[in-house]
Amino acid sequence: MFNRFTKDARTVVVAAREEALAAGSSTVEAEHLLLALARRPHPVLQRANLDAEAVTEALAAETAASLAAVGVDWDVASRARTGEPRFAASAKLALERALPVAVQRGDHRLTSDHVLLGVLEADIGTVPRALKLAGVDRAGLRAAV
Amino acid sequence: MSTVKAPSEPADGLAAVVALRRLADRLEAEQVERAIGDGWSWALVAEALGVTRQAVHKKHASRLKGLG
Repeated sequence: MFNRFTKDARTVVVAAREEALAAGSSTVEAEHLLLALARRPHPVLQRANLDAEAVTEALAAETAASLAAVGVDWDVASRARTGEPRFAASAKLALERALPVAVQRGDHRLTSDHVLLGVLEADIGTVPRALKLAGVDRAGLRAAV
Repeated sequence: MSTVKAPSEPADGLAAVVALRRLADRLEAEQVERAIGDGWSWALVAEALGVTRQAVHKKHASRLKGLG
């Protein structure tokens, strides 16, 4: 799969690993791809007021809300160092979804924009929940990429 | 922490599972670091966590180099 990635798209994947490490996560998830893109910053995300800080806040709010639903109160801000994070299903799915998006657009190579579209494609999971909580119009965002 | 409630929607319940995993992960990283820092052996940490020594070592040893 990776041989069709442009250098730019590979950079996002590498940066996502760093986001996971910095966040103290043992896995690289779709939200770390989104964080990596927001930190660039990405013009489309920027227009939606989604810089890295805003995405971090939205993700923390999602975790807090999901835990509150089962009566658990946790200060997400506490973070420990982790070992090498492994690539988890949500990130793999986002990259898998990026490929057909690129093909659909008639692009032969996968760019960071396709990765963003792959991340935004998910209707379920942490990213769409966090964006919804933050009042972000995901469909509008996708259309703007 | 209070009694665990059951969310009405599966999407909320499943998201809670994800968030709880993240919480358990974070708690494990912090507490393993603390135990090793306090002089616990990897064997003891593994027994306390209910996993094999190899599993706990593989997951935490590299980041805690120099501590234990």
